Amino acid sequence: MSSTASRTNTFGVVPPRPALSLDHLGFAIAVLIGVALFAAPFATYRATRIASGEARLLIEALPIAMAAALVLVALGVAIGAVLVRDPLSRLGSAVIGLAVLLPSLGLSAGYLTPADNTFARVSPSLGFWLLSLAFSLLAVDALARMRLGPYGRLTALAVGVSALALLLLSGIWDDLSILREYYTRADSFWREARQHLLLASGSMAAACLLGVPLGIVSHRLRTLRIAVMQGLSIVQTVPSIALFGLLMAPLGAIAASVPLAAALGIKGIGAAPAFIALFLYALLPIVANTIAGLSQVPSAVVDAARGMGMSARQRLVDVEMPLALPVILAGIRIVLVQNFGLATVAALIGGGGFGTFVFQGIGQTAIDLVLLGAIPTVALSFAASIVLDALVDLSKGTPA
Amino acid sequence: MIEIDRLTKRYGATLVVDDVSFAVEEGTLAVVVGTSGAGKSTLLRMINRLVEPSAGRVLIDGEDTRAIPEDELRHRIGYVIQGYGLFPHRNVADNIATVPRLLRWDSKKVAQRVEELLDLFQLEPAEFAHKFPHELSGGQQQRVGVARALAARPALLLMDEPFGALDAVIRSKAQDDLLAIQRRLGTTIVLVTHDMNEAFRLGDRIAVMDQARLLQYATPAELLMRPADDFVERLVGSAERPFRLLSLIRVQEALEPGHAEGEPIAASESLHDALSRLLWTGRKALPVADASGALIGQVSVGGILQRGRPLP
Repeated sequence: MSSTASRTNTFGVVPPRPALSLDHLGFAIAVLIGVALFAAPFATYRATRIASGEARLLIEALPIAMAAALVLVALGVAIGAVLVRDPLSRLGSAVIGLAVLLPSLGLSAGYLTPADNTFARVSPSLGFWLLSLAFSLLAVDALARMRLGPYGRLTALAVGVSALALLLLSGIWDDLSILREYYTRADSFWREARQHLLLASGSMAAACLLGVPLGIVSHRLRTLRIAVMQGLSIVQTVPSIALFGLLMAPLGAIAASVPLAAALGIKGIGAAPAFIALFLYALLPIVANTIAGLSQVPSAVVDAARGMGMSARQRLVDVEMPLALPVILAGIRIVLVQNFGLATVAALIGGGGFGTFVFQGIGQTAIDLVLLGAIPTVALSFAASIVLDALVDLSKGTPA
Repeated sequence: MIEIDRLTKRYGATLVVDDVSFAVEEGTLAVVVGTSGAGKSTLLRMINRLVEPSAGRVLIDGEDTRAIPEDELRHRIGYVIQGYGLFPHRNVADNIATVPRLLRWDSKKVAQRVEELLDLFQLEPAEFAHKFPHELSGGQQQRVGVARALAARPALLLMDEPFGALDAVIRSKAQDDLLAIQRRLGTTIVLVTHDMNEAFRLGDRIAVMDQARLLQYATPAELLMRPADDFVERLVGSAERPFRLLSLIRVQEALEPGHAEGEPIAASESLHDALSRLLWTGRKALPVADASGALIGQVSVGGILQRGRPLP
């Protein structure tokens, strides 16, 4: 009896959607905003950078008029998220929310820090993070619903990056703990940033230079393909720290016996083993995607090309590679996102990069310093994935 | 003229094509027909050396194909396969221009040739030149595939199941178009199919293959009246034979004096069509008109039936 009922439920006719329905994600966002405003501290105040923090609610963290304005705007966004379905309006309200929220964090820092006190630190707390999460979710969801083309997504990224740059350059955030950390080590920040980018993108470029040709040859030779894929899969299973460790001994030995290698900066610790490890991790996605990309070229297309008298080189350059390109680019996307993250670990063996701040910060229990290393890393990965996703789409798309 | 001379292909111990010889006259259409796995495609692919023969040779106008560099040989031979293999990342015009560009024709000449071919295949250049293969219907893709194969004016066209992916109505139209274009250009065609109806409809001569061997190479009428063995007879279809024979004969050949009632039939139609009209209308005879529409006589049921069997 009950089984009959459940069967009719499962296969029964789905009722038509009511004209004015509540949006599930919007509802979740509204709840997040409610919790953030009324039940969570907005900012954390610490007397020194390693002292334990004291929570500050929104009404304590901002002048009363500012706090009221932020509450009103956030409530407006929450109501809009639940009731309004038009993606453009949702995006607009999310942008307004962020435009009020982000500067007010900087104002809060200035408001909470006693005048002339350079030891006190103000950092964002749960309430701020929840609010920015809620607004960003709303914005990302709206952008997804708008189904932007590749150029639209790149433009959205450019607008976001410019807005962030504007906030940072305007000085409105200068009183925040993380920027205090930045100002005390601005020189090393940009040095490590350059090192991070070089490690991640340099090893990717090297992996492409070797991996794409290796993938092309492996695609043709079955025995080589099996050997290469197995070898690279084994490399992929070695944990990154272990791989750094494994490379120390042979590179140290090379540095000791080959003066030229030592002169080039190749030694057991430092950037060289980090670069090599990242390169080895990058090889598998590049080689595997090159092989996959070439294998999915329809055999009729290759046969027709051969039958029309295209030489092996012409087939590869004019037919197979263009058709494999989206898949190869997807491999490069995986590698770049993975490398920006993995390069953090390079700091452990003296390879530099943003990991330097992360591990220093852990050592000093200074969470702001950890964030100074972590946030740019996440932002780089995020931006790289958007840019390469757009490139994948562009390489797939046939011009209209 | 294409001469296939004792052509053999062996993969290990398996014979795929076994000592096949036949010749295709200039400007005619030869169909290679047989069950799947009979070695038809391998035979075709040995002509443009996509498959290297284990033994035997192919002569094109007396010239051994092994004496010509592979790619150069293929530039001179059109090639159409099932599924067409159009380049998905290139538009129709660029697809058609493939071989002329490989031959380094100048761009003006290439553009002119592409336009000419689009016209020939009833694809409006303004509308179709810049479309991509995925934007075309199956029939349009097929026409682009044939146009691409003909782009550099090859004297020989090889076609491997070129109509296999089309539905019945479009296939019939595509077959008519191919015959019209072949008559117009005088191209020699070797076409592979497993469809006996297609073979009878298109072939000036038909090569029947089974288990790697060539069983018979003959005109459609000969194949019907004097099948070489039981297999050919079964493949030709014993029950279908009289009707196949009638569809090979023009009304002109069964013309009798006299005046019949009813709608006239053209002298160029087949006896198969005439019989079908007679059966449907319940008449004993139909008037026959020539190309200008003038009545030139009649065709009768009795006259048609006499021709639906082997001549004594």
